[in-house]
Amino acid sequence: MPRTRRPSAQTTAVLRALAENPDRWRYGYDLCAQLGIQAGSMYPILIRLADRGLLETSWEAEPAPGKPPRHLYRLTGDGRALAATVTVTASGAVQGTAPRPGLAGA
Amino acid sequence: MPVLVLLAVLATAVALGVRRGRAHGDVPARIVAAAADSLSANRRDWGRAMTAELAQLRGRGHRWRFALSALRAALLLPSGRRRPVLVAASSGLLATAAVTAGAAAEVPGLAVAAAALGLLLCGYATVRASRPGRARWTAPGVAVAALALAGTAAAVVSVARIVVAHPAAASDETHLFSVLFALALASCLAVALTPSGDRRALWWALGAALGGAAVWTASALVMPVSATGVAGLGWPVGLAVVLTASIGGTAASGRSRDGARAGLLAAVLSAPAHVAADLTGILQAGHFTLTNAYDVAAYPHSGYPDVASYLLSDTMAGEIITGLVAFPLVLAAIAVLAAGWGVSGRRPWPIGN
Repeated sequence: MPRTRRPSAQTTAVLRALAENPDRWRYGYDLCAQLGIQAGSMYPILIRLADRGLLETSWEAEPAPGKPPRHLYRLTGDGRALAATVTVTASGAVQGTAPRPGLAGA
Repeated sequence: MPVLVLLAVLATAVALGVRRGRAHGDVPARIVAAAADSLSANRRDWGRAMTAELAQLRGRGHRWRFALSALRAALLLPSGRRRPVLVAASSGLLATAAVTAGAAAEVPGLAVAAAALGLLLCGYATVRASRPGRARWTAPGVAVAALALAGTAAAVVSVARIVVAHPAAASDETHLFSVLFALALASCLAVALTPSGDRRALWWALGAALGGAAVWTASALVMPVSATGVAGLGWPVGLAVVLTASIGGTAASGRSRDGARAGLLAAVLSAPAHVAADLTGILQAGHFTLTNAYDVAAYPHSGYPDVASYLLSDTMAGEIITGLVAFPLVLAAIAVLAAGWGVSGRRPWPIGN
């Protein structure tokens, strides 16, 4: 079992985005665009999640003509469990407080 | 005038590089390809992932933003090599602290430069430790590294000798020149200590740099030293060194990339050696007299305790800017151009193009 460490706000946002539809494969720029996170921050986050066994990766089976296949991502079972945990924690933490505008876009 | 020549050479090299690069995609594509290429073997898939994402993007702005961000990601990627990274970082910091403390005790004027150089090299070692198995050391690679370390040591010793003999010459309240000195030396070392390129091209770089260093050393010993250095031989010899390495490296390997790398290596190996020869010669000659009207007028108000400190301070600043920054930059640009010409000369021009 990987070490559990409190994820950063950006990592939490990525986990929650991936957990919205956990069976769907997502690609990096798609997540960047959804969350407003730059690739320079997104890829290190994805790599850390994959290293910890929280993220499953695959390559696009049928890439667009003339384009290389894209790398796809979705949460593993452990990743889904962590996403559920951080979602509950975040919901508890923000009860009675103002929303944090930087959570998704920081 | 030298500034104009420098700008012209750099602009020409950049323009030709961009023109050649278009054959391999736009600039963002080349940035991402370089970033992906810099990743260690266990991270190559992530480099491919970023390359594939860029291929889907349209619009110059989007592509540039993604490319620069991907470059940042490649530099900051978690390496998965926590222990080697920690060992390199902690031992580097300890060594930096020890060297800085030693410098502060023995040569206080060099303490900031020692700290900056130590931190920069510590950062370099940490990055290298995080990227395993990128390239194997070869005999010419080791020789190039040894020559780079020797040249750097010679440059530091030559400055230290001046600072010990004339402590006021190193007075620099902003520490700008101390940091610039460290940054220039660390950059030269980083280029030379990163093993890559064709072995034959490396030998050309090594041979050319050694030849140049030999000429400068001999000149410092037997020729009169002017206030601007070793009898004005800096640039002509540097140019000959880089052209030899670049054209020879291209001819030996058959690839302009290896020739350019050889020329670049020759430039960064030569820069510290040239500065060391210049400063040593100037200190040995000991001709410290005010020779122009500006210095005669400025010296009494400069705050320096003696003419030697005033002139040596000026000389060291000039050597850092010209010898360690402009010299390798211009010669590196010339190396790229010469390597390209070398290839152009070897290949027939395409017909109907």
